[in-house]
Amino acid sequence: MEIKPILSTLMRNKTGVFVIAAQVALTLAIVANVFYIVRDRLAEANRPSGVDEDNTFMIGVGAYRPVVDPMADIARDLAGLRALPGVTHATLANQMPLAQSGNNSGVSVDRSQQQISTSVAFYEAADSLVDALGLKLVAGRDLAPSDVIEIQVGENSPEGPFPVVVTQALIDKVFPGETQPIGKLLYLGVGPNADELRIVGVVEALTTPWGRASWGLANRGDVSMIVPFRRATDSPLYIVRTEPGARAAAMKAAEALLVKPGNGRVLGANRSMTELRERRYRSDRFMVGLMGTMTGLLLVVTASGILGMASLWVNQRRKQIGVRRALGATRFDIVRYYLTENFIVTGIGIVVGIGLAFALNAMVASELGLERLPLAHLGIGVVLLWVIGQIAAYAPARRASLIAPATATRSV
Amino acid sequence: MLQMRKLSKVYRTHLIETHALRGFDIHVREGEFVAVTGPSGSGKTTFLNIAGLLEEFTDGEYLIDGVPVRGLDDNARSRLRNEKIGFIFQGFNMIPDLNLFDNVDVPLRYRGFKAPERKARIEHALERVGLASRMKHYPAELSGGQQQRVAIARALAGDPRLLLADEPTGNLDSAMARGVMELLEEINAQGTTIVMVTHDPELAQRAQRNVHIIDGQVSDLEHVTPLARVAARGAEAAVA
Repeated sequence: MEIKPILSTLMRNKTGVFVIAAQVALTLAIVANVFYIVRDRLAEANRPSGVDEDNTFMIGVGAYRPVVDPMADIARDLAGLRALPGVTHATLANQMPLAQSGNNSGVSVDRSQQQISTSVAFYEAADSLVDALGLKLVAGRDLAPSDVIEIQVGENSPEGPFPVVVTQALIDKVFPGETQPIGKLLYLGVGPNADELRIVGVVEALTTPWGRASWGLANRGDVSMIVPFRRATDSPLYIVRTEPGARAAAMKAAEALLVKPGNGRVLGANRSMTELRERRYRSDRFMVGLMGTMTGLLLVVTASGILGMASLWVNQRRKQIGVRRALGATRFDIVRYYLTENFIVTGIGIVVGIGLAFALNAMVASELGLERLPLAHLGIGVVLLWVIGQIAAYAPARRASLIAPATATRSV
Repeated sequence: MLQMRKLSKVYRTHLIETHALRGFDIHVREGEFVAVTGPSGSGKTTFLNIAGLLEEFTDGEYLIDGVPVRGLDDNARSRLRNEKIGFIFQGFNMIPDLNLFDNVDVPLRYRGFKAPERKARIEHALERVGLASRMKHYPAELSGGQQQRVAIARALAGDPRLLLADEPTGNLDSAMARGVMELLEEINAQGTTIVMVTHDPELAQRAQRNVHIIDGQVSDLEHVTPLARVAARGAEAAVA
């Protein structure tokens, strides 16, 4: 390998080396971080919600006439929904996972705290949300009908204590390492008057209405709790679960059941969990596509730069390539020379780019809630740039190898 | 050492056919110093390119050191060129971005010698041409005569059997040309066969044998004995 003479040659052509190495360094820094962000976003978009997504939907209605007895209407609606073909569970709720709208509250673990321990998505459900969403209970029990607290229109939320089912993510956050969370107390808010919540059950996962929690990214949107409230409202939201394959028909039937000509209601939303996920992550997928396209273009520009510089060097050195051939270089020797030269120049850019990638990562990590750039992503970027560099340099290298050895004896 | 029989070279374009060499016969024996002369366009450079395996010929036969070269693939020609032939070009053809050491190293790397052997050969070759002290210098820092000496060192480092020189003094003033010529004579005296293409009749006279090419054919041969050459040189010195 002609490493030493190549380095010697490059040292005397610093401008070209600097231009290409800088381009490679910037590209690596951007590509490695984009890979990481894209992978993070895609992982987020595909992260399990804990919900039986294929068989659940939400349907909400609004009223354009005063409702006399909302509790009675809700009871009638639920009875009707449960009687629909294929429907296995239905409950009144205040919010739906990934619907991008809902409530959250702060909780603390000690009344003496001045600040909350975490924010938590606050699911109110009159019947089993565990059943209606197909959640997996991993400890304790589900909320029972006897736990349910009715709240009439205009009433404030009741004071505790009341039982709650929480997610494992909430336990991990406020009681790290706790293996016996059942019976533990939480407080809604802070201070001596904070309502007391007693944990009776833990579900494996229940994503928040926002997916990635808007108030703190590290928890990844799984910090949720379910409280047993039946809150009277003229705009109820129902969460319905069906047998496999029965959801589409059930959604149509549910709409026909709840919104009839002259019944004073309008349809708020009738969306499957599948659609909710798609809507929630549409912008993320768009961003992934956009970043992917921009990165692809950046790689093309970098490859073009390498191709251009390699072509220029070959054209400038036609005579010396002929001399090398005359002195015994085979075509393969010439190809290898130019590919090695490109490998070294790209390598210089890569070394600088690794530092830049970490610097860029440090800047964007706190903004996007990302952790430190994994070495694997950097490795992918390094390999990709080396491969692209070699591919881009191959055509000029091959052209160089076809320069006739007799070029050495020509005067021009 | 070098034998061409009824060799021809035809350059063809879609409009025209040019016969650069036709029925070309030459036999250079081991240890000879042959000067090839002829007017511009006579075929001297074509002969040199074919002799150095830089170009292929159209017809005929060419043996170098007894090896027929017709039909050899590019790799085999490169290997043969690297092992058996040393080149000295009119324009020196140094690689400007490499120092003298690395310039002389170029053919040795293609030969596959290990680093210690290459180093020893490079130092010896540069010593032979009197430039061992400047091996870290770059070609641009040398005079034309010195560059040509480096080119000779590069040609010699691999111990070739045949040295092909293309107007080796063409870009040099007379003093430098004389120095280079004396170096070539010394190399020849040590056993290396030299074929030198030149325009300069005075230089040609210093070779053992002159081959004159006109219109792609050998027109006449002139034999000069080494003894006569030495006598001629002595006479020149006496005149000076």
